[in-house]
Amino acid sequence: MKRKKKAGTIGYVIFLSLFLFVMIAPMLYMISASFMPQSDLNMIPPRLLPSKATLENYARALAQQPIIKYVYNSFIITIIAVVICVTAGSMASYALTRTNIRFKTTFLVFVLAISLLPTITLINPIFKMYSNMGLLNTHIGLAVIISVLDLPMTIWFLTAVLKNVPISFEESAKLDGANMFQIFIYILLPLLKASIFSISILVFIGAWNRFLLSQVLNQFEDCRTVVVGLTLYQTTHTIPFGVVAAAAMITILPLLLMVLVFQKNILGGIMEGGVKE
Amino acid sequence: MNKKSTRMGYLMLLPSVLLILVLILYPTVNTIYQSFFEIRTQTAALGPKFVGFRNYVKAFQDEHFWDTLWWTLAFTAVSVALELIIGMGLALLMNRKIPGQGLIRTAVLIPWGIPTVVSGIIWTQFFAQNGIVNSTLAAFNLIKEPLSWLGNEWLAKLSILIADVWKNTPYMSLLLLSGLLTISRDYYEAAEIDGAGKFRQFTHITLPLIKATMSVTVLFRIISAMRVYDLIVAMTAGGPAGRTETVSMYAVNTYFTYGNTGYGATLSVLMLIISVGISMFFVDSLKTKGSV
Repeated sequence: MKRKKKAGTIGYVIFLSLFLFVMIAPMLYMISASFMPQSDLNMIPPRLLPSKATLENYARALAQQPIIKYVYNSFIITIIAVVICVTAGSMASYALTRTNIRFKTTFLVFVLAISLLPTITLINPIFKMYSNMGLLNTHIGLAVIISVLDLPMTIWFLTAVLKNVPISFEESAKLDGANMFQIFIYILLPLLKASIFSISILVFIGAWNRFLLSQVLNQFEDCRTVVVGLTLYQTTHTIPFGVVAAAAMITILPLLLMVLVFQKNILGGIMEGGVKE
Repeated sequence: MNKKSTRMGYLMLLPSVLLILVLILYPTVNTIYQSFFEIRTQTAALGPKFVGFRNYVKAFQDEHFWDTLWWTLAFTAVSVALELIIGMGLALLMNRKIPGQGLIRTAVLIPWGIPTVVSGIIWTQFFAQNGIVNSTLAAFNLIKEPLSWLGNEWLAKLSILIADVWKNTPYMSLLLLSGLLTISRDYYEAAEIDGAGKFRQFTHITLPLIKATMSVTVLFRIISAMRVYDLIVAMTAGGPAGRTETVSMYAVNTYFTYGNTGYGATLSVLMLIISVGISMFFVDSLKTKGSV
């Protein structure tokens, strides 16, 4: 019995290492390739580690496309999207859990239904609408549509969280003469700080990675996002993988830091949403 | 007081409702409307011409549409099935009290957190002529000539599936894990006393209890797999010869490359109908979600 258990542990460790390797290896390879000199990248069979680390790829990545500008655009667009999404979403969740408005369930089901829409059913009318309103190739235009796409997730998440917050806090504030708006701002928002932070990170990562809408709505360099900019490195085959890898590293650096620093919040966010789902 | 709070409630719901009406509902209705018209960017000055169901008839006779549709559906079915099976295995593993838990969960977040385009770029390099996949296969003497992974229709499809499974299984496993965590240990202890084996415990306790979580997770994965766009743009751009183009890519090209707005709308509406049709199968599990 004991031997069997030991064999199980060894099997488990092997499996675990293999699994970790498969999950992380592609990332590690990209990091490694981004530091490889050109000669390493042409080797057959391919090298796994650079013979000597060089920043040449990063220099070329920065020279070929204004990638820092793209990163800046992505930041602005993503931050605006998160702010709109979380503001509108938390207000809606408050209304859905703390007031006697009608059609609550209808609204929640409707919100869920719209998150199932294919993006292609929205894209052309939005393109036309934005074109008429002068919102094509702007930060705010893209940010607004991205925020709406993440709104269903935010509303569902915060509604589920709010349902579990006891109402007694608010009632004592109400007795003290606070109005609903004050209760929302001064009592509930501080209570929800952690949940709002978690959902903000989820929305941030989702918004940063949005591709199709960004590609179609912000076609010009001025407001192009970094994920779209990254594909431009690929368009010519003469650009070596090292440069693309370096550009990709620049693209994901903010995300990678975020994932590593806030992994507890992210896991909590995904799973909390999951339990309630 | 109560009346006032109800009014306040509607007021607080207003921003979300407005955003959804203007940016989701209106565009969707507009797309459905346009699918009944002949509208081309090139002849925009002539205005739209009502053609009834002619765009739909055209779609049914359009071989390329059927090709993209079958590939999109096959991609969806295979990738979601694999992700569900592997994701379930991972979730069961993560649900055990064992060391290294934190490490696994962090590792799982990496494929999930990076942009799809980036995972497409990495896997494209892996499957390149002189890439790691070919050289590994050659090292084990499994192939003599390097395979043209992205140049052959079926190999390209396989490569895309592998890249997708790598990217999306982690998220699936986390959602399944969240379902597993809600199951009380008592059930398993009782089953153990009754002499039920691990497999029976899985089929008789675990599966029935996470069925709701599982179906919602699967539905959302199906819908997002059906939208697949950026992964394939980054890996093959629809090639070789358009054989890995999905309906989303075809619709986007029809809209913005060929300027055929009416037909692009028709393709989008057909996708919408299929999405709604698939969602219908999951109505029961969505209802349980709505009632929580």
